Amino acid sequence: MGVTEQGLLERDKDTMTLNMGPQHPSTHGVFRVILEMDGEIVRSAEPDIGFLHTGIEKNAENKRYVHCIPMTDRLDYLSPPQNNLAFCLTTEKLLGVKELPARADYLRVMMCELGRIGSHLVWLGTHALDIGAMTVFLYTWREREMILDLNEMISGVRMMTSYIRIGGVAQDATPEWLDGVRKFVDYFPAKVDEYESLLTNNPIWLDRTRGIGTLTKDEAILWSMSGPILRAAGLDWDWRKKKPYSRYDEFKFDVPTQDHGDIYDRYLVRVEEMRQSREIVKQALDHLPDGPYKIEDNKISLPPRDTLHTSMEALIHHFKLVSDGVKVPKGEAYVPTEGPRGEVGFHIVSDGSNTPYRVKMRAPSFMGIPGMCQIMEGAFISDVVAIIGSVDIVMGEVDR
Amino acid sequence: MGLMDEAVDSIETEINNLKLNAKDALDQLGAEFSGAVYDSILTTKLGKVVGWAQKNALWPATFGLACCAIEMMAMANSRWDAARFGAEVFRASPRQADLMIVSGRVSQKMAPVLRRIYNQMAEPKWVIAMGACSSCGGIFNNYAIVQGVDRVVPVDVYVPGCPPGPEALLFGVIKLQEKILKEAGSEKARQRVA
Amino acid sequence: MTNEEIREQIDAIFESAIKHSAVTEHGDLVVHVAVEQFLMLMAYLKQNRDYDFDYLSQITGVDYLEMDPDREFRFDVVYELYSMSKDHHIQIHVGLPEEEPTLPSVYHLWRGADFPERELYDMFGIIVMDHPNMKRLLMPEDWEGHPLLKDYPLTVEEVAFSHNPDHKSELIKTPEDMKVDPWA
Repeated sequence: MGVTEQGLLERDKDTMTLNMGPQHPSTHGVFRVILEMDGEIVRSAEPDIGFLHTGIEKNAENKRYVHCIPMTDRLDYLSPPQNNLAFCLTTEKLLGVKELPARADYLRVMMCELGRIGSHLVWLGTHALDIGAMTVFLYTWREREMILDLNEMISGVRMMTSYIRIGGVAQDATPEWLDGVRKFVDYFPAKVDEYESLLTNNPIWLDRTRGIGTLTKDEAILWSMSGPILRAAGLDWDWRKKKPYSRYDEFKFDVPTQDHGDIYDRYLVRVEEMRQSREIVKQALDHLPDGPYKIEDNKISLPPRDTLHTSMEALIHHFKLVSDGVKVPKGEAYVPTEGPRGEVGFHIVSDGSNTPYRVKMRAPSFMGIPGMCQIMEGAFISDVVAIIGSVDIVMGEVDR
Repeated sequence: MGLMDEAVDSIETEINNLKLNAKDALDQLGAEFSGAVYDSILTTKLGKVVGWAQKNALWPATFGLACCAIEMMAMANSRWDAARFGAEVFRASPRQADLMIVSGRVSQKMAPVLRRIYNQMAEPKWVIAMGACSSCGGIFNNYAIVQGVDRVVPVDVYVPGCPPGPEALLFGVIKLQEKILKEAGSEKARQRVA
Repeated sequence: MTNEEIREQIDAIFESAIKHSAVTEHGDLVVHVAVEQFLMLMAYLKQNRDYDFDYLSQITGVDYLEMDPDREFRFDVVYELYSMSKDHHIQIHVGLPEEEPTLPSVYHLWRGADFPERELYDMFGIIVMDHPNMKRLLMPEDWEGHPLLKDYPLTVEEVAFSHNPDHKSELIKTPEDMKVDPWA
């Protein structure tokens, strides 16, 4: 490299390379993006992922279906019930299960929607923290603790519940849990109003999020974005309405959309989704049907424990299911579900044995990262953090 | 602040004792080691004060990798307030931190980054391996995950769990504080800074 | 348009290139196409105004070595396409042989193919042509081998103990097995 007349080193390009490395407080996980900066403007953003690659897909090929469920918890670790549900729905499709008991479906819906609220609370807290509003971080996690208490009450684990199993749910809902959900449902709407009072009309928030990071509807479709990003751009696409699974068509809820597709619109969409999710939980709670909480077919789900003392078939089924696992017929299937980040699904190829042959997760954040880096081009460096927060990536599902 | 006064008092009494007994002690141990003995008795009490200060102001570096990071954030939050134990701020830059909580699974691509961040921290530094994945590889025994972060950095406290609740991580931090105080003033603590 | 109508139209236009097409019992439309006409079919699906498949959801790679070693094509790549405006859903399968696992890229049709195609290369060794940035995605750049292939071991370390009788131990190699003799 030579030296110019002014005594500066000659550079072979006009841009500065800035490494927003895997260890960074605002990248929402171990995400690395290499920014080419022209002053303060980002000219290009190249993502570098794989810092959390866990080999879950290869590991799942050696495990029985029920053992894969705790692994799916750790993929999108902010809303574990959603991953469990997508995996179980696909397995049930391969098994040829047409319908589950109503109580099982309602309990699944309640857990998924509580998981969605929990995920959006984390998103709101960390997104606001990145932009500078630390109070919101402390408030939203306070409500999230209530949801984690409910998780612990029903499954024993705070985060990775593995509660949704093939054929239904792991165990029945106790009256204490239902009371707890009722208390949460009554307490929560005032809190959402509190968060909105802090941010929605806040001039600093508006300046940092309105008109920034815009992604139009056509661009969002071209870059395979899904979930709140598509809805903020104006497209009314929600798998719970398009191809309802798990009796979602029995619930009345709105799918919020906005027009501009900027960061502010994504914020409004997700806050409204929190309200709608709470609405769904309330309806499920009010109309929770009685009955079995898992399918009666004992080749798929465990028989009730009290029948083990009297029925020989139940004992044999229990033994086979626990030692061998459920045998899934040969085939392949994919079921799209609506997660907090977008379309979550598992493509499972089965070879007829009790372990899956190939499990591939369709992760919304994975498909969303190239589009996100596309939005960053032409933005200021300070907007990069806001954009990453608004797309709401979770590296667990990106790297799998 | 009673503890500071207490510490200063004990130093003063110790120095007075030394002045009175130094000659006898030195004669017993042999004159050629006199400097080292004098040095170690004086600095042990001072080391305890330094250890007390270090343990009550452990500043963690943000090294949240995966699911355990969410529970680490919960530990720092309103319900299990880590600030009352001294972990007031999570420093983003490793050069300003003295505690690295490795929270989450360490993949093959991340291991060199982990070592580099550890090297960038200033002495004295401590490492907590939070969760099953960083302690021993966790539920992922495969090509992609380093089977225990102690293959890459030396670990002081292991906190098991998947993920360990914030109360478990706080217990780990308290255990680390006990460890720091126990080691304080001794040869081990001096080796950390050496 | 219903799935059956789309299937008949595609069969009629692409006759010999379509190896198999069906509407499954769950109502999903599945089409197996030969790799030579694959790009033409994808472009047709995107540009035809009646179908309007404007959304690529995911690209999956499957290695059939263990399930069916005598299969004509070792690899199978699955594309999920949706039409946002018309609510269509189609699943395209392409078979790739072991000796020449190459595939044309659909990046210029759907930008969302960027990461999944790089993942196909990284995990299976399937080379996707005309991709703007064909390099490893999840593993480190100097990693050797393609992890999701069926003959790639799950781990190179001995499991310390296992009470699991189903543990597929042939996949777990010891460091001695992995050593390559340079003079052999």
